[in-house]
Amino acid sequence: MEKMIYAILWVKDDSEKPDSLLKEMKGISGEELFLIAFGKITAVVSNIDKKSIVADNPSALAFARVIEELRKQFTLLPMRFGSFVDSADAVLKMLERNVSKIQDNLQIVDNKMEFGLKVFCDTGKLKAELIEKSNRQTSLSINPAPEANVSVFRDYVNKKLQAHRLEELLLNHVDSVISNITEFCDRLNISCKTRKMLSESTIIDTVFLLKINQQDMLINHLEELKTQYPGLNFVLTGPWPPYSFVESTIKK
Amino acid sequence: MSENKILFNTGSLDEFAGEIGKLSDIEDSKLKLTPDNADSGLAKLVLTLVELIRKLVEKQAMRRVEGGTLTDDEIERLGETLMNLELKMEELKKHFNLTDRDLNINLGPLGDLM
Amino acid sequence: MDNNVIDQSKDITILELLDRVLNKGVILTGDIVISVADIDLVYLGVKLMLSSVETMDQLKAGKAIKEMK
Repeated sequence: MEKMIYAILWVKDDSEKPDSLLKEMKGISGEELFLIAFGKITAVVSNIDKKSIVADNPSALAFARVIEELRKQFTLLPMRFGSFVDSADAVLKMLERNVSKIQDNLQIVDNKMEFGLKVFCDTGKLKAELIEKSNRQTSLSINPAPEANVSVFRDYVNKKLQAHRLEELLLNHVDSVISNITEFCDRLNISCKTRKMLSESTIIDTVFLLKINQQDMLINHLEELKTQYPGLNFVLTGPWPPYSFVESTIKK
Repeated sequence: MSENKILFNTGSLDEFAGEIGKLSDIEDSKLKLTPDNADSGLAKLVLTLVELIRKLVEKQAMRRVEGGTLTDDEIERLGETLMNLELKMEELKKHFNLTDRDLNINLGPLGDLM
Repeated sequence: MDNNVIDQSKDITILELLDRVLNKGVILTGDIVISVADIDLVYLGVKLMLSSVETMDQLKAGKAIKEMK
């Protein structure tokens, strides 16, 4: 029978065996959860029929719920949905083969949690503000009056150039927000990863790996950031299992 | 999950729910190749890549124009090339029945080039 | 809090969660979910080819200056 792997736990002390916690939970399709241990690293698995796996929301949520409950008591590496191996024996082999990599990853996320920040704004409005600011500061006008007698190609380049300048202005603005966030993280020795311009309105997506006592500091900092950039909207979510801070691939 | 994990927000939740929903539209942004759709799946993949390269070329061209090192004649020819590229791309999209949204598949690390 | 706000908070929580569980976390090689991530390697090769013209020009110019010295 194939096994779906939910997470790899670090069971530091024999007295904190996760069995009792697992009894209160069910895996995907109501399957029983059980443990496969190699030393102090322990995989949480359930039986699964390979052919019956459907990547729908209910099973993804059932999968996530198990990890979320375990997170509250254990340092763990969350697996991506859809991680399965052929047998219990293969799970053990996988743990054995990757033990040092798994331990390194567990050290990194030990006692820490993931938080996610998304920054949204109306980029159209923001661009308009940036143009105005830029036109006031420099003689280089972003929207110059159309030149007479230019060829259709030249006109095309001019239009593209204007769009390009605007894009650069916007990116500079976004970068200034990102460096503010990065400086804050560096100061407190917090790991963070940022992606920018995910969509027209989602300009920043940052994930943080924090100790729980740093949560309030982060929120305070975001409040300051909001006063500095009133046009932007911030959403902070968490705590999450450290999904974004685990080395991504391990061998079966 | 019944828990609410929003710790801090400064705008309307309506807006956020919509935006995050769009980003998490996993089904749309994934390329699914099956024996039945291999043709259009492949066209989608190839055109996504072509469109990405076209945009990169365009961006690079604008940097050069901005740099001021090009002659009027060069700019003229550049404009003609870029315009033709854009028109050609429109034709290809139409031919394979693809929209800009279809070409918005997640390119993984390549996406960082833009 | 009114019910609408609670619902939306839940929606956002669920979306953020799905994004993580489907796109992040440890992957075992030979995953069942076929994603674009699997062809990332193909793209990486292309990425190497796409070296920018301007940068190449600068490199060439830099080299020329060195040679002049």
